[in-house]
Amino acid sequence: MRTLVALVLLFPAVVLSQNKVAIGIVTSLSGPMAAPGKFQMNGFRLAEEEINGAGGFAVGGRKHTVELKVQDTRANPAEGASAMQRLATVDKVPLVLGELHSGVAAAEAPIAQDYAVPLILTIPTGPGLTEQGNRFLFRVNANNDQLTAALAEFVAKQGWTPLSFIAWNNDAGRGGVNGMKRLLGETKIGYTGYFNVGEVDFSSHVSNIRAQNARAVMLLMDEEPGSLAIKQLRDAGLKTQLIGTLAMGSDRFLARLDAARLEGMVQYNAFPPNASVPRIKAFSDRYRKKYGEEAHGFAAQSYDGLMLAVAAMQKAGTTTDGAKIRDALAALEHDGVIGRIRFDAKGQASPPVYVTQWCANGSRRVLYPESLKADCGAG
Amino acid sequence: MLTSILEQTVNGLMAGSVYVLIALGMVLIYGVMHVLNFAHGVLFMLGGYVCHFIFTRVTGSYLLAIVLSMAVLAAIGIALERGVFRPLQGNLRNQVIASLGLILAIEHLVIAVWGPNALQFKVPATSALVPLGELRFPVQHLLVIAVTLTVVAALFIFLRRSKFGTAVRAASQDRQSAMVVGIPVERIDWITFALGTALAALGGALIGPLFLVFPQMGDAPMVKGLAGILLGGMGSVPGAVIGGLLIGVVESLSTLVLPTDYRDSVAFFIMVAILLVRPRGLFGVRVRGED
Amino acid sequence: MRIAALILLVAALGAAPTVSPPYLLHVLVLCCLVSIPAVGLNLMLGYTGLVSLGHMAFAGIGAYTAAVLMVDAKLGFWAALALGTLAAGAAGGAIGAVCLRFRSHFFMIVTLAFGLMLFSVMNNWDDVTRGAAGFPGIPRPVPLGGFAFGRLENFYYLALGCAALAFAVQWLVVRSEFGRILVALRQDERLAQARGINAMRYKTAVFALGSAIAGFGGVLQVSFLRVAAPATFSLGESINAVLVVIVGGAGSLAGPALGALVFVGLPEYLRVASEWRLVVFGVVLVLLMLFAPRGLAGLLERVWRR
Repeated sequence: MRTLVALVLLFPAVVLSQNKVAIGIVTSLSGPMAAPGKFQMNGFRLAEEEINGAGGFAVGGRKHTVELKVQDTRANPAEGASAMQRLATVDKVPLVLGELHSGVAAAEAPIAQDYAVPLILTIPTGPGLTEQGNRFLFRVNANNDQLTAALAEFVAKQGWTPLSFIAWNNDAGRGGVNGMKRLLGETKIGYTGYFNVGEVDFSSHVSNIRAQNARAVMLLMDEEPGSLAIKQLRDAGLKTQLIGTLAMGSDRFLARLDAARLEGMVQYNAFPPNASVPRIKAFSDRYRKKYGEEAHGFAAQSYDGLMLAVAAMQKAGTTTDGAKIRDALAALEHDGVIGRIRFDAKGQASPPVYVTQWCANGSRRVLYPESLKADCGAG
Repeated sequence: MLTSILEQTVNGLMAGSVYVLIALGMVLIYGVMHVLNFAHGVLFMLGGYVCHFIFTRVTGSYLLAIVLSMAVLAAIGIALERGVFRPLQGNLRNQVIASLGLILAIEHLVIAVWGPNALQFKVPATSALVPLGELRFPVQHLLVIAVTLTVVAALFIFLRRSKFGTAVRAASQDRQSAMVVGIPVERIDWITFALGTALAALGGALIGPLFLVFPQMGDAPMVKGLAGILLGGMGSVPGAVIGGLLIGVVESLSTLVLPTDYRDSVAFFIMVAILLVRPRGLFGVRVRGED
Repeated sequence: MRIAALILLVAALGAAPTVSPPYLLHVLVLCCLVSIPAVGLNLMLGYTGLVSLGHMAFAGIGAYTAAVLMVDAKLGFWAALALGTLAAGAAGGAIGAVCLRFRSHFFMIVTLAFGLMLFSVMNNWDDVTRGAAGFPGIPRPVPLGGFAFGRLENFYYLALGCAALAFAVQWLVVRSEFGRILVALRQDERLAQARGINAMRYKTAVFALGSAIAGFGGVLQVSFLRVAAPATFSLGESINAVLVVIVGGAGSLAGPALGALVFVGLPEYLRVASEWRLVVFGVVLVLLMLFAPRGLAGLLERVWRR
């Protein structure tokens, strides 16, 4: 009798015990893009820590903790396909998040559809990805067209044409150039200097830019080559207006150069870490607390990805049914760190895109959108 | 237009000097041992990392760091010659595969130990800018040119005037006959390899402060340096210099007239075109035993 | 004895879809797809001694030709497969004729140069190849009879069949007069020429054939992945192809299969500590060259003989 009572009393405790939900992550942990991959992972890990630290998330009367199954796709489409296959059929995850490269994402998306496992992209910018009619593909971050639309509008208003480029000769760089060409029109585009990932000598591009008297130069690359390009441009005595990518709006970037060289440079930014917007500030503080450095836009996008994956599972009331989770995602409205996330019919979200500018004292300010304009120190 | 052409030519010569630095070590080793060491690029990179390490952790003297890193890489070079390239002598295909294996091992070892991010190599003594007409170059870049010229001159004197240098030339022209005459070809082999690797380290140590130190820093220069060597003539040191500089100049000038995303292709296209007309390269020598 | 082993192997491979999990099938498909260009390269490198460092660029020519035909010209898979293979073979013949005017080191670097130039075209020609972001939306073959190739199991049979075809071609070439001449050219070209063989013609022919087989594999690969990306046909991938052939055993019939198994299979099971994995792999390559230059096929043969 007593054992029966004990069992009956213990039963709810058993029911409320924690379950682990494996969530798939695809990213570049090694290879030439390992550096941006790290920021992506930082975002996922921060979200994982916060979710699990709160005891997990509740679905169907039970609490579930998140377990990340990370696969390194090394910027290779075949590896991406294998990783997706493994996550879907061996680890049997309900969702996959991440990826860095558009070409690899394009190999992962069809497999997501094959096995009804939603794939939520947090970094790849190729616009073609969401044009394939794949109901299981979602993208949290702005794609190239959206990024360049914001910037093109700003550039045209400032009269910064002809616009020249120094760009990576890969999907990120070429996509940016093509996007700006399309939006501004060929007549407003000046010299386009492409270079391969790993190249460091921009002298021939610098000379041509000077010869053409470019009004502004857009640098489509990451931090490391970016710091070299700016140094070489400024060392050559060029005072043209500089425009950069989101990688060039961080204090880490400032550490590579100095405020004098950066002053006046403008960049599009998915996430200005010091903006006085509360959701941004709160995230930046938490990120700095965990990693001891300034937050990066990739991390913010990935953090939001995992958070909304959890929200979708809760809304769908399941941690295993991919089709139901997919439907939940399609109808979801989530307030993320990067802004309000709502997917359109093609699975593309429309997060706000900012333009920030470097000030003389090494701080930044927000120039666009008009509603969020802020002074030096809040960018 | 003329100023643009002049400017780009100067840019090209500066860029080409980097290729020449890498090419010198490779052509020296090839000339004596007929070994094409593709791993030369990662040794160049390793030299940069070792120099950076010594400069930032051990001694604040740039000069000393350079010398020490050259010594370290020379030792590695001897080990590679003894352990890998000597046993594979004569087998081109296996040498190539082995050097590809070395590239994988060394490049990923560096990433595993130092991480994938680039390192900044700041040498305050040489970061000032020197104006040259409208262009400005960091002192470091002029140092690269000066050192390259000195090394080329030194190599020339060494190979032509010294007894050992003559032995090296003899061994590279006709190994069998050199052995018959009593020249210690095996000793020449590892000394040349050590010298070649030390030159690679010198290259990395000089280029590091000019740009950045990162795991892939030797990859593109190695291929360009190789193209330069082929263009100039496989066993020829002056050929490697002219070839490397020519590749740099062609690349820079091409940005004036062609779409820049084909800049790499132009250099290779020119190389193939010239080789079709002059298969030995511009200064190539016909070596006995080779076709 | 060997035939019995072969029959067992074929039976096992044929039965695979019924017993293995989807992930394993996926890996097997990749093995088949990697082995096809390797067969082409084996004929060039293993049997004829031509070390090409630009092989995968021809796989790319086949792949992108088929991609444009299937997506833009709305041509069917089988026609695109045939035309892609032909295009790769034609390019191989033309470019091979130029490369083959050089020897040993020069030949290697010139093939590398052409590989890089072709890669640039694939990466930069946005209008046709969709550029660096890749060419998405490449379809699986249209269902044949009751076989819908969108399903992994059915594509597996297609890949297996095509790989078998490639190996059959390899076997036919190797045991033919043509194949014997290729080996003679590798061993001593001057002697062969002295006996009246037009070395240039034979070498160009095998370059074209090897490139055509690579193109064949390339078309299959992009239909499987449903995207064509330049990264799949880069210098790094060309070097991988050489390693597949060498590690498997250059100049042996089973070499490409063994090499593909190692190259695709092993990393899938060692998905930890990527950087150190590659360091170990590099060291293993060097050791292989020093102590087992005939690759896995050579090792197996030694074991078999005992």
